[in-house]
Amino acid sequence: MPGSADYVIWFLGLILEASVVLCSLQRGLFRRYFFLNLYVLLELLISLGRFRVLAHDGWSSLTYRYFYFYSDALLTIVLFFTVISLYVLVFEELKVERYLRLGAILLLAGTSWFSYEVVNQSSHRMLTYFAFELSQNLYFVGLVLTFVLWGAILKLRETRALLVQLVLSLGMYFSAFAASYSLSNLSPNTFTHMVYLVPAMGCLLPLSWAYAFWRVPDDARLAPARLAVIPR
Amino acid sequence: MSRKLTTLFFAMLVLAGAMGLKTLVTAHGQGSVLLANGPEPVPRPWK
Repeated sequence: MPGSADYVIWFLGLILEASVVLCSLQRGLFRRYFFLNLYVLLELLISLGRFRVLAHDGWSSLTYRYFYFYSDALLTIVLFFTVISLYVLVFEELKVERYLRLGAILLLAGTSWFSYEVVNQSSHRMLTYFAFELSQNLYFVGLVLTFVLWGAILKLRETRALLVQLVLSLGMYFSAFAASYSLSNLSPNTFTHMVYLVPAMGCLLPLSWAYAFWRVPDDARLAPARLAVIPR
Repeated sequence: MSRKLTTLFFAMLVLAGAMGLKTLVTAHGQGSVLLANGPEPVPRPWK
């Protein structure tokens, strides 16, 4: 059963998620970063839904488990499209949006097919385990995509500070998740500690995004290292 | 045509890389599920 610490982390997360959307709206960046804001908004609504289910049915109930894991799968799909939308922004000058969309559809279809094949061979509860499998696989796809995007940002010498901040936050979030996943698999006993660590990590992404929308101006540029003045 | 093939190749490469990474991360695991989109308390997964 969740304790007071869990509820504090939960409400902190809710406040941070609302802050992301409000800061984005206030700065007029909602449409430019539409999928990112959609993800945060959906996360906020699902958080409220999870709270209602938790209060009504309890933490150990099947309803909460089903609601949690199905909504997680939905959120992961939206997060995948968030990463793709960041690709579109980074590559917008190269006019390759069409190919990025095609790649995203192929990748999502490929991941769904892979997840289906894995579940089909090993489970009788198809839909439930398919949602798990797809969610986990998309997480790792998102992780790889984010690192590839970071490589592209370095290669293209992207200087838009806000975009760089958003991508780096996402990279940190995915990496923290993968590390926690790895730790919990190496030592299953650490699950008891993970139940505190994982929700706390869930607050980091809205925190860094809220900071980015609040403090980093849209037209702010990073000084490229190659243009730094070197004294003779 | 070549751009479309490049897109297909890139998508397959990312998928293979992601699944490889997942296998690496879960190599010593028992297939436990640990997901987190948000700060909610994580329920215990099914065995």
